[in-house]
Amino acid sequence: MSRRMKLILALGIGLAAVTGGAAYAFVQGGDEASQLRATGQVGEQWDGYLGIVGSASAELRARVDAINIRRRAVYTERAAARQATIEAMAVSAGCELLSSRVGPGQYYRLPDGSWHQRQGNGPVQLPSNCPS
Amino acid sequence: MEKARCLLAAPMLAALAGCVQVAAPDKPIEINLNINIRQEVLLRLQQDAKELIEQNEDIF
Repeated sequence: MSRRMKLILALGIGLAAVTGGAAYAFVQGGDEASQLRATGQVGEQWDGYLGIVGSASAELRARVDAINIRRRAVYTERAAARQATIEAMAVSAGCELLSSRVGPGQYYRLPDGSWHQRQGNGPVQLPSNCPS
Repeated sequence: MEKARCLLAAPMLAALAGCVQVAAPDKPIEINLNINIRQEVLLRLQQDAKELIEQNEDIF
């Protein structure tokens, strides 16, 4: 392989990496949680985290986990500031997420473990301990 | 007179028996105090939860 060909190859690989990275960042950027909810394979749970409805690919699971890890970090920080447990902060967010982030036809999960689909613009059932 | 007393006592005994009867439930009694405690905590954290969600739109 000539020196010139190596250079061209290196440039090509570099370009692919940059554009690929940019494309990936574009997909990741914006509101990834709402994109996931819109697939119908992912839903909001009462506990403040995203969950997978049914079975999912390893790739989807990884994306959900990545968001949940970041959510947990946010809950942890605010819980410490309010002298509350991480769980309480997360469940509190869960109440808000169920009431404001479940779109028509999207799925949500209640404390008994059951998944429900929001029917059109109908109401979303909230756990009994959520503030009204 | 004696007969009348007996007649009165019979329904009273029956009523007493009805009051005293206690049947043990076959399932363990579970009192979940967590629910009530949490409700207060959740109310206290409600505003924080709303803020978190608005400030971190990318993960919510």
